[in-house]
Amino acid sequence: MFEVTGKMVWKGTKTGLLTTWELAKVVVPTAVIVAIFRASGFLDTLTALFAPYMGFFGLSGEAAVVLFSGYFVNLYAAAGSIMALNLTISEITICAVMLGFCHSLLVELPISQKAGSPLGYIFIIRLGCSLAVGWLLGVILP
Amino acid sequence: MNILWEGFLQGMGGLWTVACVVIPLMIVLEIAESNGLLQKLNRLLAKPFRVIGLGEDGAFPVVVAVVFGITYGSGVIINHVRAGKVTPKEARVIGTFMAIAHALIEDTIIFWVLGAPLLLLLTPRLILAYVMSYVVNARQTLN
Repeated sequence: MFEVTGKMVWKGTKTGLLTTWELAKVVVPTAVIVAIFRASGFLDTLTALFAPYMGFFGLSGEAAVVLFSGYFVNLYAAAGSIMALNLTISEITICAVMLGFCHSLLVELPISQKAGSPLGYIFIIRLGCSLAVGWLLGVILP
Repeated sequence: MNILWEGFLQGMGGLWTVACVVIPLMIVLEIAESNGLLQKLNRLLAKPFRVIGLGEDGAFPVVVAVVFGITYGSGVIINHVRAGKVTPKEARVIGTFMAIAHALIEDTIIFWVLGAPLLLLLTPRLILAYVMSYVVNARQTLN
């Protein structure tokens, strides 16, 4: 029997609000930090440094900030960086797909290890998938 | 001060967009879960999971991880291994699948809201998770 009760709606709303709050704690500070990076010229330095490698994935140098914040912090931080930068839709797509495979490593690698998989093995398959698919998308996306 | 304010507004704007999707979605998910749709999904996926060496007990943590996230999936695996429902070999297959494809709803929405196409966010993760798990299972069976 399929049923919808007020309790379910309330519980879902609570989860949604909680997720939004968790999101807020990361997205807003990240957007502010990236804005500071840009104003101080640090972003340009970083961009210039990574531009040659990012081209491999069809990305501009700026996108390195998105990848790093996703790999090391989490997807919310990556989203915050995307909001603060001016990336094209295809760049956002490539970053998003790459980050889907590999993100929040500092938190998730230990979790995988707890669930019985060696840390190095999980790290290699996740980063490997991310880089391989990123390269593929860089080649096929306009 | 102007720069800080600008960054703050950008962050808040993005947050609002995401909240408009996340909150209704969590309600739908809660209703689906309360009606036992997760178990139904698990039964539906029994066959493809058998191909990568996972029985019903092994498939469940994968479904949980794919829908809710790697933390929940890991919790289920740890319990299943302890209860003897899942072997360490199965745990490795599950771990591989889960590491590549988890929290597909939440992760997908974040970037979908920002403009990335749904299909590209979902299919590569699912396909690679399946292929890698297949390889891991085949290698373990060989040894």
